[in-house]
Amino acid sequence: MSSPTSKRVVQIGPFHPLLEEPVGFSLGVEGETVVDVDARMDYIHKGIEILAQQRTYDMLPILLERICGICSVTHSVCFCNAAEDLLGVEIPPRAKYIRTIIAELERVHSHLLWVGLAGHFIGYNTVFMWAWKYREPVCDVFEMLTGHRQNSALPMVGGVRRDIPVKYFDEARKTLDMVEGKTQMLTDAVLDDPVLAARLKGVGVLTPEEVMEWGVVGPTARASGVDTDVRRDEPYAAYDELDWEVCLTQNGDVFDKAVVRLLELKESIKILRQCFDRFPEGPLNLGTLHIPRGEGVGRYEAPRGEDIHYLRSNGTNMPERLKVRAPSYTNIASFKASCIGEKISDVTITLAACDPCYSCTERTAVVRAGADQPERTFGDLVRLSQAETRRIAAEMGRAPDLQLT
Amino acid sequence: MDANVLAKEMIEHFGEDVACVARSFKRLYVTFDPDELYPVWDWLQEKLPGLRFGTSTAMDLRQGIGVFHHLPVNGTPLVITLKVIAAKPDPRVPALTVKVPAAGWIEREMTDLVGVIFEGHPEPHRLVKAEAFPDTFPLRRDFDPERFKEDIGELPDF
Repeated sequence: MSSPTSKRVVQIGPFHPLLEEPVGFSLGVEGETVVDVDARMDYIHKGIEILAQQRTYDMLPILLERICGICSVTHSVCFCNAAEDLLGVEIPPRAKYIRTIIAELERVHSHLLWVGLAGHFIGYNTVFMWAWKYREPVCDVFEMLTGHRQNSALPMVGGVRRDIPVKYFDEARKTLDMVEGKTQMLTDAVLDDPVLAARLKGVGVLTPEEVMEWGVVGPTARASGVDTDVRRDEPYAAYDELDWEVCLTQNGDVFDKAVVRLLELKESIKILRQCFDRFPEGPLNLGTLHIPRGEGVGRYEAPRGEDIHYLRSNGTNMPERLKVRAPSYTNIASFKASCIGEKISDVTITLAACDPCYSCTERTAVVRAGADQPERTFGDLVRLSQAETRRIAAEMGRAPDLQLT
Repeated sequence: MDANVLAKEMIEHFGEDVACVARSFKRLYVTFDPDELYPVWDWLQEKLPGLRFGTSTAMDLRQGIGVFHHLPVNGTPLVITLKVIAAKPDPRVPALTVKVPAAGWIEREMTDLVGVIFEGHPEPHRLVKAEAFPDTFPLRRDFDPERFKEDIGELPDF
């Protein structure tokens, strides 16, 4: 074990570019190796759960969309799933397809965002620029179909609020063709690049046992070979009518987490094309529903993993309790398993690999700094991570960026 | 496994210690005394290999503080909700973190917001509330925002 003199604590956060919400990480470090991780959360506690007790069921999807800036569809549809579980109703087919379309568009732009940021953290800034360039048209399609780049305000209990314009499907198909080609290019480039393989394979490994222990969900779990996907396990929306596959890899390291997301991008595009082709006619919702006393659990496969909402109703028009559990909540806690034993230059990408949402301010300082210990910022951590990539690239005699063609 | 089948097997094994309600084939709600938590978790984990800790809800019920652990099972639509009710005014339940580390954060959060003490929790310090936050529980029914404002004063003028 570590002696008190050899262990130092590196504080990351509470403001941190890897996280949409501020989180404080204390890394216990011995030399270059991380020996302990502790997290401190809820610096911007929004009080959504208590607010939810003061909103009617019709207002709630609008409020819950604002939990996350990236997964806006996630929380509103998950809440609707919980309410529909309580009611025991099935929504009309057209509503199912609309929910599937907005959910998968969200997954595509969310995964592209992650690919770009992951590239940046290891010093592959071309990937960052390109991935974000291809993300923009996807957000435009989202806007064409719903009227907004992020918050669609479409889901409601018992269906969807509005229709989406079918006339834009051709335009959407063209964008998807373009994105599919570029995703294939990125996937090939990632799989072929020896520097990436040397940099990311074997880093931040989560074993299947650790995945079950820490309750890890989504692509982070699937990269370790744990076969879990709510879209298949408990089909909501139209997923049971469509032809698609759950993407699995076996190694559980950062490389596999990237590969799973790139493969999922292609599956999402496949799902979207089928939705456009099979888009059914019919009503959009079941009208205004009275929610009786009872309780329901809703699940939803967000881009980052399984989202859970627990809804308890007392028969009034507002919930008695709504519990929201976003996927990052369990994925971030698993850093205790994935970061310990890693080098400090690998921590950035290990933290990023479970795709916590991103923010724009940061502060990192060495807490137990001696007189000769300089203060470190998060920028230093990113630079350390990028320098590691450059070192490996130089050893292999390659350019320190992804070779895209 | 169908929730109705699992409910029958649980009642066979635990007898009258547990009350099972299967609201559909994929949702099972099990209510029992806090002392039964570890035996029920061990039994379920052995029975269902894909059992995973999802999250927990704590809420202020009239008869006590309810702690509901939601446990999805990988590969199936089943979600099992284990319900324990801790008596007020000093609500205590055993910490599930002892069995599954995934419960660590949410149990700290429940302690912060609703004031349930999880006995045996390895890291019982605060997660959500700031250190300066007084020892009141914002999700309790008797939480009074006006009184809270009086106690801590207005926010400093930035």
